[in-house]
Amino acid sequence: MKKIITLKVNNKEYEVAVAPNRTLTQVLREDLNLPGTKCGCDMGDCGACTVILDDRPVNSCLVLAVQAHNREITTIEGVADGPNLHPIQQAFVEHGAVQCGFCTPGMVLSAKSLLEKNMDPTEHEIREALSGNLCRCTGYQKIVEAVKSASQTMKK
Amino acid sequence: MHLLPKFDFYEPDSMAEACKVLAETKTEGKIIAGGTDIMVNMKKGLLSPKYLVSLAKIPGVSSIEPITGGIVIGPNLIVAKLIEFDLMRKKFNLLSKAASVLGSPLIRNRATIGGNIVTARPAADLPPPLMAMGARVVLMRKGKERELPLDDFFVGPGQTKIKPTEILVKIIVDDPPPFTGWDYVKLMHRNALEIAIVAVAVRITLDSPDGIIKDARVILSAVAAKAIHAVSAEKILIGEKPTAKLFARAASLASTDCTPITDIRGGAEYRCAMVETLTNRALSAALLQIKSK
Ligand SMILES: Cc1cc2nc3c(=O)[nH]c(=O)nc-3n(C[C@H](O)[C@H](O)[C@H](O)COP(=O)(O)OP(=O)(O)OC[C@H]3O[C@@H](n4cnc5c(N)ncnc54)[C@H](O)[C@@H]3O)c2cc1C
Ligand code: FES
Ligand code: FES
Repeated sequence: MKKIITLKVNNKEYEVAVAPNRTLTQVLREDLNLPGTKCGCDMGDCGACTVILDDRPVNSCLVLAVQAHNREITTIEGVADGPNLHPIQQAFVEHGAVQCGFCTPGMVLSAKSLLEKNMDPTEHEIREALSGNLCRCTGYQKIVEAVKSASQTMKK
Repeated sequence: MHLLPKFDFYEPDSMAEACKVLAETKTEGKIIAGGTDIMVNMKKGLLSPKYLVSLAKIPGVSSIEPITGGIVIGPNLIVAKLIEFDLMRKKFNLLSKAASVLGSPLIRNRATIGGNIVTARPAADLPPPLMAMGARVVLMRKGKERELPLDDFFVGPGQTKIKPTEILVKIIVDDPPPFTGWDYVKLMHRNALEIAIVAVAVRITLDSPDGIIKDARVILSAVAAKAIHAVSAEKILIGEKPTAKLFARAASLASTDCTPITDIRGGAEYRCAMVETLTNRALSAALLQIKSK
Protein backbone atom coordinates (compact mmCIF):
# COMPACT_ATOMS: atom_id res chain seq x y z
CA MET A 1 0.00 0.00 0.00
CA LYS A 2 1.38 3.41 -0.96
CA LYS A 3 1.95 6.04 1.70
CA ILE A 4 1.73 9.77 1.30
CA ILE A 5 4.88 11.34 2.67
CA THR A 6 6.43 14.79 2.83
CA LEU A 7 10.07 15.17 1.90
CA LYS A 8 11.85 18.45 2.54
CA VAL A 9 14.53 18.43 -0.11
CA ASN A 10 16.88 21.38 -0.56
CA ASN A 11 14.45 23.62 1.34
CA LYS A 12 11.52 22.66 -0.83
CA GLU A 13 8.61 20.51 0.32
CA TYR A 14 7.40 17.66 -1.82
CA GLU A 15 4.36 15.53 -1.13
CA VAL A 16 4.68 12.13 -2.76
CA ALA A 17 2.85 8.82 -2.72
CA VAL A 18 5.43 6.05 -2.39
CA ALA A 19 5.37 2.30 -1.99
CA PRO A 20 7.21 1.37 1.25
CA ASN A 21 9.75 -0.71 -0.62
CA ARG A 22 11.23 2.26 -2.50
CA THR A 23 14.52 3.68 -1.31
CA LEU A 24 15.25 7.36 -0.87
CA THR A 25 17.69 7.11 -3.81
CA GLN A 26 14.91 5.85 -6.06
CA VAL A 27 12.37 8.46 -4.99
CA LEU A 28 14.85 11.35 -5.32
CA ARG A 29 15.95 10.27 -8.78
CA GLU A 30 12.75 8.91 -10.25
CA ASP A 31 9.91 10.80 -8.57
CA LEU A 32 11.48 14.15 -7.74
CA ASN A 33 13.65 14.28 -10.84
CA LEU A 34 16.83 14.94 -8.86
CA PRO A 35 19.31 12.61 -10.59
CA GLY A 36 22.39 14.22 -8.99
CA THR A 37 22.23 11.52 -6.32
CA LYS A 38 23.91 8.52 -7.94
CA CYS A 39 23.26 4.86 -7.46
CA GLY A 40 26.43 2.76 -7.56
CA CYS A 41 26.44 -0.43 -5.53
CA ASP A 42 22.98 0.05 -3.94
CA MET A 43 24.35 -1.82 -0.88
CA GLY A 44 25.97 0.84 1.31
CA ASP A 45 29.52 0.23 0.10
CA CYS A 46 30.34 3.07 -2.29
CA GLY A 47 28.73 6.30 -1.06
CA ALA A 48 27.66 7.48 -4.55
CA CYS A 49 24.12 7.85 -3.15
CA THR A 50 25.15 10.10 -0.23
CA VAL A 51 22.62 12.72 0.86
CA ILE A 52 22.51 14.78 4.03
CA LEU A 53 19.55 13.71 6.18
CA ASP A 54 18.90 16.01 9.14
CA ASP A 55 22.54 17.20 9.26
CA ARG A 56 24.11 13.76 8.82
CA PRO A 57 25.46 12.30 5.59
CA VAL A 58 23.94 8.86 4.91
CA ASN A 59 23.75 6.23 2.16
CA SER A 60 20.33 7.00 0.65
CA CYS A 61 20.25 3.52 -0.94
CA LEU A 62 19.85 2.12 2.59
CA VAL A 63 17.10 4.52 3.65
CA LEU A 64 13.47 3.79 2.88
CA ALA A 65 11.76 6.87 1.49
CA VAL A 66 9.05 6.39 4.16
CA GLN A 67 11.75 6.66 6.84
CA ALA A 68 12.62 10.14 5.55
CA HIS A 69 9.06 11.45 6.02
CA ASN A 70 9.10 15.03 7.33
CA ARG A 71 12.89 15.17 7.45
CA GLU A 72 15.31 17.65 5.92
CA ILE A 73 17.31 16.33 3.00
CA THR A 74 20.14 18.01 1.10
CA THR A 75 21.15 16.55 -2.25
CA ILE A 76 23.92 17.78 -4.53
CA GLU A 77 21.32 19.90 -6.38
CA GLY A 78 20.94 21.99 -3.22
CA VAL A 79 24.60 22.78 -2.69
CA ALA A 80 25.31 25.53 -5.24
CA ASP A 81 23.82 28.99 -4.81
CA GLY A 82 22.06 29.46 -8.15
CA PRO A 83 24.78 29.72 -10.82
CA ASN A 84 27.51 30.15 -8.18
CA LEU A 85 29.26 26.96 -7.18
CA HIS A 86 29.73 26.20 -3.49
CA PRO A 87 33.36 26.74 -2.40
CA ILE A 88 33.77 22.95 -2.12
CA GLN A 89 32.52 22.43 -5.67
CA GLN A 90 34.73 25.28 -6.90
CA ALA A 91 37.76 23.72 -5.19
CA PHE A 92 36.97 20.31 -6.74
CA VAL A 93 36.99 21.92 -10.20
CA GLU A 94 40.17 23.89 -9.56
CA HIS A 95 42.11 20.97 -8.09
CA GLY A 96 41.12 18.44 -10.75
CA ALA A 97 39.29 16.40 -8.12
CA VAL A 98 36.61 15.41 -10.63
CA GLN A 99 37.33 12.82 -13.29
CA CYS A 100 34.34 10.72 -14.33
CA GLY A 101 32.31 12.55 -11.68
CA PHE A 102 30.29 9.59 -10.44
CA CYS A 103 31.57 9.83 -6.87
CA THR A 104 31.59 13.64 -6.82
CA PRO A 105 28.10 14.40 -5.47
CA GLY A 106 28.71 12.05 -2.54
CA MET A 107 32.22 13.36 -1.94
CA VAL A 108 31.01 16.96 -1.92
CA LEU A 109 28.18 16.20 0.51
CA SER A 110 30.41 14.25 2.90
CA ALA A 111 32.94 17.10 2.74
CA LYS A 112 30.20 19.67 3.34
CA SER A 113 29.03 17.85 6.46
CA LEU A 114 32.59 17.69 7.71
CA LEU A 115 33.31 21.38 7.14
CA GLU A 116 30.09 22.41 8.84
CA LYS A 117 31.28 20.71 12.03
CA ASN A 118 35.00 21.20 11.70
CA MET A 119 36.19 24.31 9.88
CA ASP A 120 39.86 23.41 9.89
CA PRO A 121 40.21 19.64 9.50
CA THR A 122 43.54 17.86 9.28
CA GLU A 123 44.31 15.64 6.31
CA HIS A 124 43.56 12.65 8.51
CA GLU A 125 40.18 14.03 9.49
CA ILE A 126 39.33 14.68 5.84
CA ARG A 127 40.31 11.14 4.81
CA GLU A 128 38.32 9.72 7.71
CA ALA A 129 35.22 11.79 6.86
CA LEU A 130 35.39 10.66 3.22
CA SER A 131 36.12 7.02 4.02
CA GLY A 132 32.58 5.91 3.12
CA ASN A 133 32.89 7.40 -0.36
CA LEU A 134 34.81 5.40 -2.94
CA CYS A 135 36.46 6.91 -6.02
CA ARG A 136 37.70 4.70 -8.84
CA CYS A 137 39.41 7.50 -10.77
CA THR A 138 41.32 10.11 -8.82
CA GLY A 139 43.33 8.20 -6.26
CA TYR A 140 41.80 10.53 -3.63
CA GLN A 141 44.80 12.87 -3.32
CA LYS A 142 43.24 15.68 -5.34
CA ILE A 143 39.94 15.27 -3.53
CA VAL A 144 41.66 15.64 -0.17
CA GLU A 145 43.55 18.69 -1.43
CA ALA A 146 40.33 20.24 -2.74
CA VAL A 147 38.59 19.80 0.62
CA LYS A 148 41.58 21.27 2.45
CA SER A 149 41.64 24.25 0.12
CA ALA A 150 37.85 24.75 0.42
CA SER A 151 38.19 24.79 4.19
CA GLN A 152 40.67 27.67 3.88
CA THR A 153 38.41 29.61 1.49
CA MET A 154 35.37 29.08 3.69
CA LYS A 155 37.17 30.33 6.78
CA LYS A 156 37.74 33.71 5.14
CA MET B 1 19.50 -1.12 -8.97
CA HIS B 2 18.37 -3.89 -6.67
CA LEU B 3 14.64 -3.75 -6.01
CA LEU B 4 13.37 -4.45 -2.54
CA PRO B 5 10.62 -7.06 -2.25
CA LYS B 6 7.20 -5.69 -1.35
CA PHE B 7 6.17 -5.19 2.27
CA ASP B 8 3.92 -3.06 4.43
CA PHE B 9 5.51 -0.50 6.72
CA TYR B 10 4.39 0.35 10.25
CA GLU B 11 5.65 3.07 12.53
CA PRO B 12 3.85 2.71 15.90
CA ASP B 13 4.34 5.43 18.49
CA SER B 14 4.53 3.30 21.63
CA MET B 15 6.34 0.10 22.57
CA ALA B 16 3.03 -1.51 23.55
CA GLU B 17 1.66 -0.78 20.10
CA ALA B 18 4.88 -2.08 18.49
CA CYS B 19 4.53 -5.36 20.41
CA LYS B 20 0.94 -5.66 19.27
CA VAL B 21 1.71 -4.95 15.63
CA LEU B 22 4.61 -7.39 15.62
CA ALA B 23 2.51 -10.10 17.32
CA GLU B 24 -0.22 -9.65 14.72
CA THR B 25 2.23 -10.16 11.88
CA LYS B 26 2.96 -13.61 13.36
CA THR B 27 6.41 -14.50 12.05
CA GLU B 28 6.04 -12.50 8.84
CA GLY B 29 7.10 -9.19 10.36
CA LYS B 30 10.51 -7.79 11.21
CA ILE B 31 11.83 -4.72 12.94
CA ILE B 32 13.72 -2.25 10.80
CA ALA B 33 16.12 0.10 12.61
CA GLY B 34 18.88 1.67 10.50
CA GLY B 35 18.22 -0.87 7.76
CA THR B 36 21.93 -1.35 7.00
CA ASP B 37 21.69 -5.10 7.49
CA ILE B 38 18.10 -5.92 6.75
CA MET B 39 17.86 -3.86 3.56
CA VAL B 40 21.05 -5.41 2.21
CA ASN B 41 19.69 -8.89 2.95
CA MET B 42 16.35 -8.02 1.37
CA LYS B 43 18.04 -6.61 -1.73
CA LYS B 44 20.09 -9.78 -2.03
CA GLY B 45 16.88 -11.79 -1.84
CA LEU B 46 17.87 -13.54 1.40
CA LEU B 47 14.88 -12.15 3.30
CA SER B 48 11.42 -10.99 2.33
CA PRO B 49 9.39 -10.06 5.39
CA LYS B 50 5.77 -9.10 4.63
CA TYR B 51 5.84 -6.32 7.21
CA LEU B 52 8.53 -3.99 8.50
CA VAL B 53 8.03 -2.26 11.83
CA SER B 54 10.08 0.83 12.71
CA LEU B 55 10.54 1.88 16.32
CA ALA B 56 11.82 5.33 15.35
CA LYS B 57 8.75 7.25 16.56
CA ILE B 58 8.72 5.71 20.05
CA PRO B 59 9.99 8.15 22.68
CA GLY B 60 13.30 7.18 24.29
CA VAL B 61 14.38 4.48 21.82
CA SER B 62 17.36 6.51 20.64
CA SER B 63 18.65 7.84 23.93
CA ILE B 64 21.38 7.10 26.46
CA GLU B 65 20.22 7.52 30.04
CA PRO B 66 22.42 7.44 33.10
CA ILE B 67 20.94 5.30 35.91
CA THR B 68 22.38 4.48 39.32
CA GLY B 69 25.47 2.40 38.66
CA GLY B 70 25.35 2.50 34.89
CA ILE B 71 23.57 3.54 31.71
CA VAL B 72 20.61 2.38 29.67
CA ILE B 73 21.01 2.60 25.91
CA GLY B 74 17.99 2.64 23.60
CA PRO B 75 18.12 0.08 20.77
CA ASN B 76 17.69 2.69 18.03
CA LEU B 77 20.68 4.79 19.08
CA ILE B 78 22.89 5.27 16.04
CA VAL B 79 26.48 4.07 16.21
CA ALA B 80 27.82 7.61 15.54
CA LYS B 81 26.39 8.78 18.87
CA LEU B 82 28.36 6.15 20.77
CA ILE B 83 31.40 8.10 19.59
CA GLU B 84 30.02 11.64 19.91
CA PHE B 85 28.46 11.57 23.38
CA ASP B 86 30.78 12.88 26.08
CA LEU B 87 29.60 10.33 28.61
CA MET B 88 30.45 7.49 26.23
CA ARG B 89 33.88 8.85 25.33
CA LYS B 90 34.78 9.48 28.96
CA LYS B 91 33.36 6.54 30.84
CA PHE B 92 32.55 3.87 28.25
CA ASN B 93 35.31 4.57 25.75
CA LEU B 94 35.68 0.86 24.97
CA LEU B 95 32.32 1.00 23.20
CA SER B 96 33.23 4.30 21.50
CA LYS B 97 36.44 2.77 20.19
CA ALA B 98 34.62 -0.21 18.68
CA ALA B 99 31.92 2.08 17.28
CA SER B 100 34.54 4.23 15.57
CA VAL B 101 35.75 1.33 13.42
CA LEU B 102 32.30 0.09 12.37
CA GLY B 103 31.62 0.49 8.66
CA SER B 104 32.04 4.07 7.45
CA PRO B 105 30.91 7.47 8.70
CA LEU B 106 27.86 7.14 6.43
CA ILE B 107 26.97 3.70 7.81
CA ARG B 108 27.52 4.86 11.40
CA ASN B 109 24.95 7.63 10.86
CA ARG B 110 22.27 4.98 10.21
CA ALA B 111 23.39 1.71 11.83
CA THR B 112 22.01 1.21 15.35
CA ILE B 113 23.35 -0.59 18.38
CA GLY B 114 20.20 -2.74 18.56
CA GLY B 115 20.54 -3.78 14.93
CA ASN B 116 24.19 -4.65 15.45
CA ILE B 117 23.29 -6.93 18.35
CA VAL B 118 20.22 -8.66 16.90
CA THR B 119 21.88 -9.22 13.54
CA ALA B 120 24.39 -11.44 15.36
CA ARG B 121 27.15 -11.47 12.77
CA PRO B 122 30.11 -13.39 14.18
CA ALA B 123 32.33 -10.40 13.35
CA ALA B 124 30.00 -7.61 14.51
CA ASP B 125 31.90 -4.80 16.25
CA LEU B 126 29.71 -3.92 19.23
CA PRO B 127 29.04 -7.30 20.92
CA PRO B 128 32.68 -7.90 21.96
CA PRO B 129 33.06 -4.64 23.95
CA LEU B 130 29.54 -4.99 25.33
CA MET B 131 30.31 -8.53 26.52
CA ALA B 132 33.58 -7.36 28.02
CA MET B 133 31.58 -4.74 29.93
CA GLY B 134 29.07 -7.34 31.10
CA ALA B 135 26.14 -5.74 29.26
CA ARG B 136 22.59 -7.06 29.58
CA VAL B 137 19.74 -6.84 27.10
CA VAL B 138 16.06 -6.39 27.86
CA LEU B 139 13.62 -8.07 25.50
CA MET B 140 9.90 -7.39 25.33
CA ARG B 141 6.97 -9.42 24.05
CA LYS B 142 3.27 -8.77 24.63
CA GLY B 143 4.25 -5.97 27.00
CA LYS B 144 6.32 -8.31 29.22
CA GLU B 145 10.05 -7.82 29.69
CA ARG B 146 12.84 -10.31 30.32
CA GLU B 147 16.51 -9.55 30.92
CA LEU B 148 19.41 -11.59 29.61
CA PRO B 149 23.18 -11.19 29.92
CA LEU B 150 24.56 -10.55 26.44
CA ASP B 151 26.80 -13.55 27.10
CA ASP B 152 23.72 -15.81 26.86
CA PHE B 153 22.06 -13.99 23.96
CA PHE B 154 23.98 -15.23 20.93
CA VAL B 155 23.47 -18.71 19.52
CA GLY B 156 25.34 -18.71 16.21
CA PRO B 157 25.72 -16.72 12.98
CA GLY B 158 22.52 -14.67 12.66
CA GLN B 159 20.93 -16.62 15.50
CA THR B 160 20.02 -15.38 18.95
CA LYS B 161 17.65 -16.14 21.80
CA ILE B 162 15.24 -13.43 20.65
CA LYS B 163 11.83 -14.77 19.61
CA PRO B 164 10.39 -13.68 16.26
CA THR B 165 7.84 -11.38 17.88
CA GLU B 166 10.14 -10.10 20.61
CA ILE B 167 11.71 -6.62 20.61
CA LEU B 168 15.07 -5.59 22.04
CA VAL B 169 14.07 -2.57 24.11
CA LYS B 170 17.12 -1.72 26.24
CA ILE B 171 20.81 -2.40 26.59
CA ILE B 172 22.10 -1.98 30.14
CA VAL B 173 25.77 -1.35 30.86
CA ASP B 174 27.19 -1.05 34.37
CA ASP B 175 29.73 1.61 35.29
CA PRO B 176 33.27 0.22 35.21
CA PRO B 177 34.54 -0.63 38.72
CA PRO B 178 37.61 1.29 39.98
CA PHE B 179 41.01 0.21 38.60
CA THR B 180 39.49 -1.05 35.35
CA GLY B 181 41.19 -0.85 31.97
CA TRP B 182 40.08 -2.14 28.61
CA ASP B 183 40.78 -2.17 24.90
CA TYR B 184 39.30 -3.24 21.58
CA VAL B 185 41.59 -4.16 18.71
CA LYS B 186 40.20 -4.92 15.26
CA LEU B 187 42.37 -6.32 12.52
CA MET B 188 41.25 -5.24 9.04
CA HIS B 189 42.61 -5.18 5.50
CA ARG B 190 41.84 -1.46 5.30
CA ASN B 191 40.70 1.20 7.73
CA ALA B 192 37.06 1.65 6.71
CA LEU B 193 34.20 -0.39 5.34
CA GLU B 194 35.70 -3.63 6.48
CA ILE B 195 34.56 -6.34 8.81
CA ALA B 196 37.09 -7.76 11.21
CA ILE B 197 39.49 -10.54 10.24
CA VAL B 198 39.92 -10.95 13.98
CA ALA B 199 38.92 -8.65 16.82
CA VAL B 200 39.62 -8.83 20.53
CA ALA B 201 38.03 -6.95 23.42
CA VAL B 202 39.58 -7.20 26.87
CA ARG B 203 38.78 -5.77 30.25
CA ILE B 204 40.76 -6.20 33.42
CA THR B 205 39.95 -4.93 36.89
CA LEU B 206 42.60 -4.80 39.63
CA ASP B 207 41.84 -4.92 43.35
CA SER B 208 44.08 -1.86 43.91
CA PRO B 209 46.27 0.32 41.68
CA ASP B 210 49.25 -2.02 42.11
CA GLY B 211 47.28 -5.09 43.08
CA ILE B 212 46.20 -8.35 41.52
CA ILE B 213 43.67 -8.93 38.76
CA LYS B 214 40.24 -9.29 40.34
CA ASP B 215 38.22 -9.69 37.16
CA ALA B 216 39.26 -10.39 33.57
CA ARG B 217 37.28 -10.72 30.38
CA VAL B 218 38.77 -11.61 27.05
CA ILE B 219 36.31 -11.66 24.16
CA LEU B 220 37.30 -13.00 20.77
CA SER B 221 35.41 -12.04 17.63
CA ALA B 222 35.32 -13.42 14.07
CA VAL B 223 37.02 -16.63 15.18
CA ALA B 224 33.96 -18.72 16.12
CA ALA B 225 30.25 -18.90 15.26
CA LYS B 226 29.69 -16.01 17.67
CA ALA B 227 31.76 -13.74 19.90
CA ILE B 228 33.22 -15.96 22.64
CA HIS B 229 35.01 -15.69 25.94
CA ALA B 230 38.60 -16.95 25.89
CA VAL B 231 37.83 -18.93 29.01
CA SER B 232 41.29 -20.35 29.67
CA ALA B 233 42.90 -16.95 29.25
CA GLU B 234 40.44 -15.37 31.67
CA LYS B 235 41.03 -18.14 34.21
CA ILE B 236 44.78 -17.75 34.27
CA LEU B 237 44.61 -13.95 34.60
CA ILE B 238 42.33 -13.80 37.62
CA GLY B 239 44.10 -13.70 40.98
CA GLU B 240 47.51 -12.88 39.49
CA LYS B 241 49.64 -9.77 39.36
CA PRO B 242 49.55 -8.26 35.87
CA THR B 243 52.93 -8.81 34.21
CA ALA B 244 54.13 -9.03 30.61
CA LYS B 245 54.85 -12.71 31.17
CA LEU B 246 51.34 -13.41 32.42
CA PHE B 247 49.83 -11.52 29.48
CA ALA B 248 51.93 -13.53 27.02
CA ARG B 249 50.72 -16.79 28.56
CA ALA B 250 47.10 -15.64 28.58
CA ALA B 251 47.39 -14.55 24.95
CA SER B 252 48.82 -17.89 23.93
CA LEU B 253 45.98 -19.68 25.74
CA ALA B 254 43.42 -17.42 24.04
CA SER B 255 44.59 -18.69 20.67
CA THR B 256 43.67 -22.22 21.75
CA ASP B 257 40.18 -21.10 22.81
CA CYS B 258 39.03 -20.15 19.31
CA THR B 259 37.78 -22.20 16.37
CA PRO B 260 38.14 -19.96 13.33
CA ILE B 261 37.30 -20.86 9.77
CA THR B 262 39.38 -20.16 6.69
CA ASP B 263 37.69 -17.71 4.37
CA ILE B 264 38.44 -14.87 1.99
CA ARG B 265 39.51 -12.59 4.88
CA GLY B 266 42.07 -14.91 6.39
CA GLY B 267 43.15 -18.47 7.06
CA ALA B 268 42.29 -20.27 10.30
CA GLU B 269 45.94 -20.60 11.30
CA TYR B 270 46.61 -16.92 10.64
CA ARG B 271 43.55 -15.97 12.66
CA CYS B 272 44.73 -18.02 15.65
CA ALA B 273 48.13 -16.38 15.49
CA MET B 274 46.49 -12.98 15.34
CA VAL B 275 44.29 -13.78 18.36
CA GLU B 276 47.48 -14.26 20.35
CA THR B 277 49.07 -11.01 19.13
CA LEU B 278 45.96 -8.89 19.55
CA THR B 279 45.11 -10.32 22.98
CA ASN B 280 48.59 -9.54 24.21
CA ARG B 281 48.43 -5.99 22.86
CA ALA B 282 44.95 -5.37 24.24
CA LEU B 283 45.92 -6.62 27.70
CA SER B 284 48.98 -4.37 27.80
CA ALA B 285 46.91 -1.38 26.66
CA ALA B 286 44.28 -2.12 29.32
CA LEU B 287 46.92 -2.21 32.05
CA LEU B 288 48.49 1.01 30.80
CA GLN B 289 45.09 2.64 31.00
CA ILE B 290 44.73 1.70 34.67
CA LYS B 291 48.24 2.91 35.47
CA SER B 292 47.77 6.24 33.71
CA LYS B 293 44.52 7.14 35.49
C1 LIG C 1 28.69 -1.16 3.90
C2 LIG C 1 28.45 -1.80 5.26
C3 LIG C 1 29.50 -1.92 6.15
C4 LIG C 1 29.30 -2.50 7.41
N1 LIG C 1 30.37 -2.60 8.26
C5 LIG C 1 30.19 -3.14 9.49
C6 LIG C 1 31.29 -3.24 10.39
O1 LIG C 1 32.41 -2.83 10.11
N2 LIG C 1 31.06 -3.80 11.61
C7 LIG C 1 29.82 -4.25 11.97
O2 LIG C 1 29.68 -4.73 13.10
N3 LIG C 1 28.77 -4.19 11.13
C8 LIG C 1 28.92 -3.64 9.90
N4 LIG C 1 27.86 -3.57 9.03
C9 LIG C 1 26.58 -4.14 9.41
C10 LIG C 1 25.54 -3.18 9.98
O3 LIG C 1 25.79 -1.86 9.59
C11 LIG C 1 25.49 -3.24 11.50
O4 LIG C 1 25.26 -4.54 11.95
C12 LIG C 1 24.39 -2.31 12.06
O5 LIG C 1 24.69 -2.01 13.42
C13 LIG C 1 23.00 -2.89 11.98
O6 LIG C 1 22.10 -1.95 12.56
P1 LIG C 1 20.80 -1.43 11.77
O7 LIG C 1 20.14 -0.48 12.66
O8 LIG C 1 21.15 -0.96 10.43
O9 LIG C 1 19.98 -2.79 11.69
P2 LIG C 1 18.80 -3.23 10.74
O10 LIG C 1 19.33 -3.63 9.43
O11 LIG C 1 17.69 -2.26 10.79
O12 LIG C 1 18.36 -4.54 11.56
C14 LIG C 1 19.23 -5.66 11.67
C15 LIG C 1 18.47 -6.82 12.30
O13 LIG C 1 18.16 -6.54 13.65
C16 LIG C 1 16.77 -6.61 13.88
N5 LIG C 1 16.46 -5.56 14.85
C17 LIG C 1 16.91 -4.27 14.82
N6 LIG C 1 16.50 -3.62 15.92
C18 LIG C 1 15.78 -4.50 16.66
C19 LIG C 1 15.10 -4.42 17.91
N7 LIG C 1 15.09 -3.30 18.64
N8 LIG C 1 14.48 -5.53 18.37
C20 LIG C 1 14.49 -6.67 17.66
N9 LIG C 1 15.12 -6.80 16.48
C21 LIG C 1 15.75 -5.72 15.98
C22 LIG C 1 16.14 -6.44 12.51
O14 LIG C 1 14.87 -7.07 12.47
C23 LIG C 1 17.16 -7.14 11.64
O15 LIG C 1 16.97 -8.49 11.65
C24 LIG C 1 28.02 -2.97 7.76
C25 LIG C 1 26.96 -2.83 6.86
C26 LIG C 1 27.16 -2.24 5.62
C27 LIG C 1 26.01 -2.10 4.68
S1 FES D 1 24.78 3.28 -4.03
FE1 FES D 1 24.45 3.62 -1.94
S2 FES D 1 26.36 3.15 -1.12
FE2 FES D 1 26.63 2.56 -3.17
S1 FES E 1 35.87 10.71 -10.25
FE1 FES E 1 35.28 8.81 -11.08
S2 FES E 1 34.74 7.72 -9.31
FE2 FES E 1 35.57 9.48 -8.49
